Amino acid sequence: MIALQNAIDAISLGAVYALAALGIGLIFSIMRLINFAHGELIMLGGFTLYALAGQPYLVMGLAAIIVVAIAALGMERVAFRPLRRANPATLLIASFAVSYLVQHIVLLVFGSRPMGVDFLAQLGQSIEFGGLRVPGLQLAAIIITLVLLTALALFFRHAPTGVQMRAAAEDFTMARLVGVRANRVIAAAFAISGVLASFVSLFLVAQTGSVSYKMGISMVLIAFVASVIGGMGSLIGAALGGFLVGLVSVSLQAYLPVDLRPYRDAFVFLAFIAFLLWRPQGIMFRRADRERV
Amino acid sequence: MLKIENLKVSYGSISALRGISIDVAAGEIVAVIGPNGAGKSTLLLTIAGVVKAAGGEIVFDGHRVHGQAPEKLVARRMALVPEGRHIFGSLTVAENLALGATTRNDRAGIAADTERVLAMFPVLRDRYRGKAGKLSGGEQQMLAIGRALMSRPKLLLLDEPSLGLAPLVVRQVYEAIFELKQQGLTVLIVEQSVNRALAAADRTYVLNSGLIAMSGRSVDLHGTAEFDAAYFGMART
Repeated sequence: MIALQNAIDAISLGAVYALAALGIGLIFSIMRLINFAHGELIMLGGFTLYALAGQPYLVMGLAAIIVVAIAALGMERVAFRPLRRANPATLLIASFAVSYLVQHIVLLVFGSRPMGVDFLAQLGQSIEFGGLRVPGLQLAAIIITLVLLTALALFFRHAPTGVQMRAAAEDFTMARLVGVRANRVIAAAFAISGVLASFVSLFLVAQTGSVSYKMGISMVLIAFVASVIGGMGSLIGAALGGFLVGLVSVSLQAYLPVDLRPYRDAFVFLAFIAFLLWRPQGIMFRRADRERV
Repeated sequence: MLKIENLKVSYGSISALRGISIDVAAGEIVAVIGPNGAGKSTLLLTIAGVVKAAGGEIVFDGHRVHGQAPEKLVARRMALVPEGRHIFGSLTVAENLALGATTRNDRAGIAADTERVLAMFPVLRDRYRGKAGKLSGGEQQMLAIGRALMSRPKLLLLDEPSLGLAPLVVRQVYEAIFELKQQGLTVLIVEQSVNRALAAADRTYVLNSGLIAMSGRSVDLHGTAEFDAAYFGMART
């Protein structure tokens, strides 16, 4: 029974990691940009919830999704579009710059102390299934993630824009040569990445009940690790990587000797260093170092 | 249809094209031939908007188009089949063809053109739902041409369509090109295979070291000493 409980913990944590990793993986697959400012999108979602605290939850949630999607589009337009032909290292540094800039603007406006937000607090209560206690939030995380992943899979398979994005991810120049509008697919990728980030903010705020200007940092780090583990450039890989990191984190939390549990994350990262030494290309291999024009 | 004047392209300090002029009239097949590194692929990539020109002028269908984005030129009905084909290997044949029609939204016309391409290359119909990456080299070349046709181009740019293909497949590909010419399509082919190009094209330009070394009707060029000299680079001495 404890094993089953742990499995549910692992899947729900992994689900949130998978959403974050997909947001990063999607942008990487199209632009060869590792967007560390993705964490700040998550953070902006949190602060949108804070700013609208007291409104109906639905209003808060929808506002967070919209604000984050717009912020993602803004990031692309202002910071990354002018650098599109730059090499990946330049893009990476630019994403750090955006990340710090947004963090410090929020720090300036709201200060450094974490602030409480009531968002779906009652989801913290557990639902009983024959001896199994599942917090409503975990259940919601699993269900919503599955819905989002399914919607995303359908979008990539059937929507013309989705097919164009897959083509652009495989060969950006050729995609343009069949008439795919570069600005449009990249903007679409950022908008989707923003929506994914906003759901991560909803889960984080519902879970912790607070926001801070640093709330996105650890999440983006884990998401980055997950997308590398999954195989940079592969979206299925990013999602799998997210679930895997969740599984390893929860397993270590459950089965490490008690004295070592405070150092869980060190063991998590150690495990993934070992994994990458064994399989440097990640779970789903896809050539990620192609020319991008 | 296409008029190129004094086109110059350089990669850093190396000039790939040093001022070339080419005309392609509507309904013509024109070939540009030349040895490796002559600048042939650069020429097509520049016409298609992938590579930026350093100078000169490109007029397509009455519009000055140099500096325009590739996707804009596709919308103007110019299509490039690049060297190496560049089909989307992780996508299905059907998706590759559908992507060729990205700039169009006339559903009925797209369906009719898909049917036309599948009739022209029946092997694609057999593999229609399969991954394009699983196709053989020749089939990929047919898919690349079919995908380009899906944009219903006025001008088709073909970069080394025979490269790496078995002679039988090359013949099939060139038969398709002739068929397209019968239907009124204008084609600019870049080739290393001299005999193929001279046999297929109405007119031929010889490109060597970034300059047009010779040009004329293909039938007049064939087998002349001047042609050999231009092709092998002796013309400059």
